[in-house]
Amino acid sequence: MSMNIFGGDATEERAENARLSSFVGAIALGDLVKSTLGPKGMNKILQSASTGDINVTNDGATILKAIQLDNAAAKILVNISKVQDDEVGDGTTSVCVLAAELLREAEKLIAQKIHPQTIVEGYRIASAAALKALEKAAIDNSSDPNKFRQDLFNIARTTLSSKVLSQDKDYFANLAVDAVLRLKGSTDLDHIQIIKKVGGKLTDSYLDEGFILDKIIATNSPKRMENAKILIANTSMDTDKIKIFGARVKVDSTGKLAELERAEREKMKAKVDLIAAHGINVFINRQLIYNYPESLLTEKGIMVIEHADFEGVERLSLVTGGEIVSTFDNPEKVKVGRCELIEEVMIGEDKLIKFSGVAAGEACTVVLRGSTNQMVDEADRSLHDALSVLSQTVKETRVVLGGGCSEMLMSCAVDEEARSVKGKKAIAVEAFGRALRQIPTILADNAGYDSSDLVSQLRAAHFDGQSDAGLDMNEGAVASVKKLGITESYKLKRQVVLSASEAAEMILRVDDILRATPRRREAV
Amino acid sequence: MASTGKPAPQSGSGNMGAFHDKSKPTEVRLSNLTAAKAISDAIRTSLGPRGMDKMIQTSKGETIITNDGATILKSIQALHPAAKMLVDLSAAQDIEAGDGTTSVVVLAGSLLGAAEKMLEKGMHPTVIADAFMRASVKAVEFLTEISTPLDLNDKASLLRAATTSLNSKIVSQYSSTLAPIAVAAVTKLVTPTSTTVDLRDIRIVKKVGGTIEDTQLIDGVVLNQNVVVAAGGPTRIEKAKIGLIQFQLSAPKPDMDNTVVINDYRQMDKVIKEGRQYLLTICKKIKKANCNVLLIQKSILRDAVDDTSLNFLKRLNILVIKDVERDEIEFLSKSLGCKPIADIDAFTEDKLGYADLVEEVSESGAKVVKITGVKHKGRTVSILAMGSNSLVLEESERSLHDALCVVRCLVKKRALICGGGAPEIHVSRRLFNYAQSLKGMEAYCFQAYADALEVIPTTLAENAGLNPIAIVTELRNRHALGERTAGINVRKGLISNILEEDVVQPLLVSTSAIELSTETVCLLLKIDDYVQAR
Repeated sequence: MSMNIFGGDATEERAENARLSSFVGAIALGDLVKSTLGPKGMNKILQSASTGDINVTNDGATILKAIQLDNAAAKILVNISKVQDDEVGDGTTSVCVLAAELLREAEKLIAQKIHPQTIVEGYRIASAAALKALEKAAIDNSSDPNKFRQDLFNIARTTLSSKVLSQDKDYFANLAVDAVLRLKGSTDLDHIQIIKKVGGKLTDSYLDEGFILDKIIATNSPKRMENAKILIANTSMDTDKIKIFGARVKVDSTGKLAELERAEREKMKAKVDLIAAHGINVFINRQLIYNYPESLLTEKGIMVIEHADFEGVERLSLVTGGEIVSTFDNPEKVKVGRCELIEEVMIGEDKLIKFSGVAAGEACTVVLRGSTNQMVDEADRSLHDALSVLSQTVKETRVVLGGGCSEMLMSCAVDEEARSVKGKKAIAVEAFGRALRQIPTILADNAGYDSSDLVSQLRAAHFDGQSDAGLDMNEGAVASVKKLGITESYKLKRQVVLSASEAAEMILRVDDILRATPRRREAV
Repeated sequence: MASTGKPAPQSGSGNMGAFHDKSKPTEVRLSNLTAAKAISDAIRTSLGPRGMDKMIQTSKGETIITNDGATILKSIQALHPAAKMLVDLSAAQDIEAGDGTTSVVVLAGSLLGAAEKMLEKGMHPTVIADAFMRASVKAVEFLTEISTPLDLNDKASLLRAATTSLNSKIVSQYSSTLAPIAVAAVTKLVTPTSTTVDLRDIRIVKKVGGTIEDTQLIDGVVLNQNVVVAAGGPTRIEKAKIGLIQFQLSAPKPDMDNTVVINDYRQMDKVIKEGRQYLLTICKKIKKANCNVLLIQKSILRDAVDDTSLNFLKRLNILVIKDVERDEIEFLSKSLGCKPIADIDAFTEDKLGYADLVEEVSESGAKVVKITGVKHKGRTVSILAMGSNSLVLEESERSLHDALCVVRCLVKKRALICGGGAPEIHVSRRLFNYAQSLKGMEAYCFQAYADALEVIPTTLAENAGLNPIAIVTELRNRHALGERTAGINVRKGLISNILEEDVVQPLLVSTSAIELSTETVCLLLKIDDYVQAR
């Protein structure tokens, strides 16, 4: 007699089935994103099912975040790609592809009746050897500012070459390096603001020192202000209403109504006087400012900017060093923001407000232009990737070579290690090496070159001791990537290998998938 | 496009294996190319002076007749992602140059067609995209080469450019009226150092009545609103002192909820009396500041004026205009040299603007308020657009906008090139020659790019009812013989020196069309999958 152990719709997949389902899911996901890898990678259209919005991207994390999944193992891959995005900002595709390749190798080993735990052990030995080789190959140029800048520039170029900005990578690489160097070692990318405006071409984008707010200065305010003292506020500038529901006044004549109106105005005037008592010449409010207080403020020669939404005031407070205030009773205690010049600038058809010479010297704004919304959005993502990699590199200054060179280096080291390993583990170690070699293979495949030929040439070059050999994707040949300047951050590469092998191990250990009963929804 | 859309993976196994299929990227790419080309074919017929118009019925049931590419595309409800990108492309050209919104899409369609042929031959899409990008840089170089620099004082050239733009619109027979207006409007705003013109400083007021020929540039300000004549107030004021107020002349209303409690009939009289008294005080204060024209901002909370206050104002001989929108305030205060006044206590004479004459006149059946002879005038311009019905009027405004943009392009980048398909042929020829100095796939792509550029003259000829092949080959021949300015003379139906026909266009329109369309085409080419997202 069969027993019902699980609830109604709960399901269980066991041993072989469970493993098969996680392998298939993870590998399919890897295959989905692998065509976006490398300088000749392709883009994907993401269309939202609910709103119909479209997005064109080749950023692994963005693609993975967007797709709907119903596979536990695939979700793990999405997660590691998210973590990669948070930690380093780039390499989100690589990590997912590497993990999928590791699993593909593992699948073959399991078919040969090797126990998953043995594979895990082998992978551990291999990843340790790979990381050691990577660390040995890493170069640190932080002592020489010129060389370091060149390094950063190369990293930015390498990152951008696989994105939509690849045509103008030199231009944007310079832009990104300039922006990151302004940060002076901080990794707080909040200081770099990216403003997107459709129209113009990509190379019309530029880096502007200071901060740009996408709002307009109120009518009649001075349109230019030097040595600005800025008060950033979040307060209602219509009337101070009584917030008790249903409060109302009863009067017995129109005259009293007029008096009441007058009283409200007086109250507003008092508030404006309090604001002016801060000794400011610029007043920025998150909420709307009505005509009356606006005209009072302009009469006092104060520049008024209204409706500078949440993000706007927070950034402003960050870059100008002022506090966001909502009561004005203690002018002496409030920290007022400062900047040298506020003026209107025109970008495309829109007028924006530019704050230059702000207190936080590291702040800057990148204005991105492009022909379509998709273009600008994708450019934003690409630039963000480059910026976050660069800011991480400023902290961890070691760099390694890209273009499949580091992967091949690690793969060779792993092969070397495999020889000294005894037992079945050795097979798993070799498998790890093969998986690493898949990355240059995919790079070559995406570019439409003969991958097996190129990769075997590359491997031969590495065994000959030519440790800077990599793939030149423009020529379709093996070349010295050091000379080509294809550089990547050490931290990025290390993180890719670490997360990918960890995720693969985790999925390998699974031998049972339990699916809880889906939560019942009320019939619509 | 459900056939190309990836079905959302339902269960972990099974259908996800389908990604191994290499035919899918090709299919996706083809579907994108087909959709994009469909869009470009749809508006192709509206290119050029002999282009046809489209009638669009919007979802609200309104009818629009236009041949402005950006407007047509905005109204098409494109569903396919690739089609949507072309719509965006045309909008971007609208922002950047303002004109050439049709050309940019036609060009993109033609480039995609060229790319499709190369894809069929098995070339890698990224190779094509890279080569196209480089070709566009070269093309812009060649265009700049044949351009002639322009002095903004050279009104005749500006006029020619504006006329060329207008000639391809519905309102082409009125180009002699509209072109000078556009040129005069922009040149009024230009300072020798300015690199761009804010078109918001040019106000187009539309009034149904008369014909397009009655459209005029007003030295002063025209208002959308009419004078309030309910109480029989004045409609003409000389030596006007204009007050722009942001408060209302009606019964007081505090922001708090309130009730007036009346206990007996005596109190009723008092309430009425006090109400009158309240308004009278305000009106008197206005008069005291010597104001005799009042512009009142619209308020959603209370009436701008009521009968009582109108009556007072009439007796004080003050002209009243109400329902001024809040976003008009900036323009008005700039052009009238007055300051908006938000409170009656702040109503002083120094905030008023001065004009020689404020008058409501009847222009061919439409009543318009004109303010002329403004002292302390800001850098703004008003245009009064007229038309016999609202459809013509709307289209005439769009055309005028395009013409303004053309003149603005010349301010941004002070260079002209000839029109009539001449620059495209020139660039195409130069690129073709340049391609011969290249080797490998790049050379092939450059040639294809050069071929694709010929779509503009071909379409021009086609739309004009000429034989495109005969015309384009002759054009190519004339250029090969060194006649750089030979172009299609659509009016006469032959090839001639296009400069003699005064067909010129700003360099910026052409370069931006080439740059933007190439950028979009490259983005489209690099797409190999289509993922249904949340």
